[in-house]
Amino acid sequence: MIKFNKENFHKVKNSFLSGFLAIALASLTITSPALAEKNTITIGIEADLARLDPHISTTWNTFKALLHMYEGFVAEDLLAENVETPPIVPSLAESWEISADKKTYTFKLREGVSFHDGEPWNAQAAKFNLDRMTNPDFEFHQPGSVGLLSWVWGDLESYKVVNDFTFEIKLKQPNAEFLRRLSAGGSGTPRMISPAAVRKYGNDGINTNPVGTGPFKFGEREVGVQTVLVKNSGYWDEKRVPKFERLILRGIPEVTTRELGLLTGELDMISTPSPDSLEYLEAQGMTMVKGPVSTIYPIWLNFREGPLKDVRVRRAMAMAIDREGMTKYLRRGTATPAYGILNYGGPGWDPEYRDFPYDPEGAKKLLAEAGYPDGFETRLDWTMGGGGDVNTRADAEWLQRDLGRIGIRAKIELFDNGTYWDMLAKGTREGTCCMQVSWGETGFFWLDLILPTTAQPPNGFNSGYYENPKMNELLASARATSSEAEMVKILHEIRDIVTDDVAFIPLYTPIQVYAMRPEVKGFVLAPQHWADYTSVYKE
Amino acid sequence: MIRLIINRIFATILVLIGVSFVVFAALHFSPGDVARTILGLGATEERVQALRQELGLDRPLLIQYWDWMMALLRGDLGRSISLGVPVSEVIFDKIWASLLLMGASFFLTVSFGLLFAALSGGYHRSLMDRLITLLMLLLASLPPFWLGIVLLIIFGLKLRIFPISGVGAMADDATLYVVAMHLILPAVTTAASSLAVVARVTRSAFIDEMGEPYVQAARARGLSQRRIISIETMRNVLPSFVTIAGLQIGFLFSSALFSEIVFNWPGIGLQLYLGIVQRDFPVVQGCVLAIAIVFVVGNLLADILSIALDPRRRG
Repeated sequence: MIKFNKENFHKVKNSFLSGFLAIALASLTITSPALAEKNTITIGIEADLARLDPHISTTWNTFKALLHMYEGFVAEDLLAENVETPPIVPSLAESWEISADKKTYTFKLREGVSFHDGEPWNAQAAKFNLDRMTNPDFEFHQPGSVGLLSWVWGDLESYKVVNDFTFEIKLKQPNAEFLRRLSAGGSGTPRMISPAAVRKYGNDGINTNPVGTGPFKFGEREVGVQTVLVKNSGYWDEKRVPKFERLILRGIPEVTTRELGLLTGELDMISTPSPDSLEYLEAQGMTMVKGPVSTIYPIWLNFREGPLKDVRVRRAMAMAIDREGMTKYLRRGTATPAYGILNYGGPGWDPEYRDFPYDPEGAKKLLAEAGYPDGFETRLDWTMGGGGDVNTRADAEWLQRDLGRIGIRAKIELFDNGTYWDMLAKGTREGTCCMQVSWGETGFFWLDLILPTTAQPPNGFNSGYYENPKMNELLASARATSSEAEMVKILHEIRDIVTDDVAFIPLYTPIQVYAMRPEVKGFVLAPQHWADYTSVYKE
Repeated sequence: MIRLIINRIFATILVLIGVSFVVFAALHFSPGDVARTILGLGATEERVQALRQELGLDRPLLIQYWDWMMALLRGDLGRSISLGVPVSEVIFDKIWASLLLMGASFFLTVSFGLLFAALSGGYHRSLMDRLITLLMLLLASLPPFWLGIVLLIIFGLKLRIFPISGVGAMADDATLYVVAMHLILPAVTTAASSLAVVARVTRSAFIDEMGEPYVQAARARGLSQRRIISIETMRNVLPSFVTIAGLQIGFLFSSALFSEIVFNWPGIGLQLYLGIVQRDFPVVQGCVLAIAIVFVVGNLLADILSIALDPRRRG
């Protein structure tokens, strides 16, 4: 039987407490406010990073770190100001030649560059990485990258080392966007890892020991807390040598906590404050940097859902939605209406283009014409979103109200992002008219995943079963064009057909926002899902 | 009494096995495909099927469970899908961080719960009793995600007494004082509603005891009210107090889930949230299992303690 007298209780209590505290303290250590350290920039982002292996990386947030550690043949210049799309610039390749048939790319590699572990960058290292991404027989092949990087290497025919600093890639067919895809990230990224590091740490070990050539080296990471990157003083590009020593990325999912951390100086910068807080943060002296991003929120329409089989119904739904009002009153200036399926920052985007007018009266008439004078009942399947999405539920409610005004009574069902993508991959379920995610890239490769009939579930994200075989041909010919003008012309044709068929209702382009403390300067906001932090400094 | 305790331990093991199966099955039957999550956009259906085979997702459920259980007993919780590192590495530190937060909130729950109960139950129908009852009603109805943010705004932003977040961030100047400063607001937030429940239930026990003849006898002997509450009735209130306090462990975990997110406290709740959002099912399994174990073991300890405290059950 257990006896609790005062003495042994204290003994037990004390030894328990001290042991417990020691272990608890060992697992917890503390940052002093970032304010105190001039050489450290601490950024509060929307979520913790995922895998740090670039060939199987997943989220847009993760690429905020990866782009600073790893590089590829080419890159998007994220420090270019006042551009719609970041220009493509040389990175680990100094220059390149494209053959007359547009199928062979010969890269002249940059000399004198080494990985963070001292391993030299050369054509062998390039081959090692290509093998890792695409060759299933290679010792260090990363199987996850085949699917994740299919949008980059889908047209790959072969590659070879020409000499130490020349590397050649052959494609099966021309691809007008190939360099753009080589420079991109988000869902896998074709960037170069030190071969020595892969040999040393193994394929899985790269997630905890990332070694690239970028302006920052990996410092340390505590999962769920933060990732610390350290300045690479020997970085080859003088313009992008960081102006500070340590970059700390802290994933803080709760937006209020991010904002409060910024106000108290624990954080130097935050991404995506709440639209409702912008005025307050500004009044507190914070600097706000805003700009559009190559993203669009399109609504997938379900072509298999009774009433929606009729194009007049789909058009009526599109005409019922007040996009201008939504961006002005709901998004409060953190979005602009989107017209047409081509997204801002992507090829062929045209600021003058308009698709559907906002006309609820006309919409009602159209609905009556189609045989639904009293509307119908349906459902909106929605997601809470991931990284940069803010209060997407409010979008669904806005839509619910707008559709309600023409008699379409919609229920809203909300899902977490992971489940939601699975639902999209399986196809819109019965009884649901609309689904929506944020998408869009600086290239048009995402359209390959949502428009062609070949991308219908389970082979893609044509989740509303949009059936127009012409899309397949047009997209293939857009990919195979050899000039941008030609490509854009075909993309415009695609856009106009999507509008005529009312296959999607584009909703808005988000304006992304970074808020920073007044002493933080030099930040350039790229029209991308990520930004280059090397130019930031504290006064 | 030993037999009683052994019975409870045996029952606890059964419960844990049941919990592990429920955790396993719940994630197995939840919508969504792990293989597709791993391979991401653009993976062909063949690739997805191949990976499903590789991961053994196409085998009978019970066999999958058996393998999972065996690995679990070796301490192998699988590899995190989103992070690419072993789950045990990810959640080990988180368990300690959560236990620290839980320990602190439990301490607040127990100490202030008992204090408020004694002050209001011992002085039934006094002004103090009414005020405390009102306060407890308020605390019990404040959701932690709201209370946490309000506390942050008042004590973190306006008064600048406590930091906003950042425990677990790596630097070398961690002192007990700094940890404590980070801990106070999340602990208060986590404890609030549990504290109120404990106080209210224990208050009733006090009120019952205060009407007992032995209390009247003590009064007749001239003992002070303070002594009656803190010594005479306390012994008899303790068993029901320990039971209700033990039950709070589970509630504290669910409040901690919210306060960990609000305060970005790097515990098991925050990791669970991240795991759910990224559809990282090995991490979710590991977190839920860790929470279940702490919950079940916590209740076991409370049971044993209340057996030890109650003369009628000592046997």
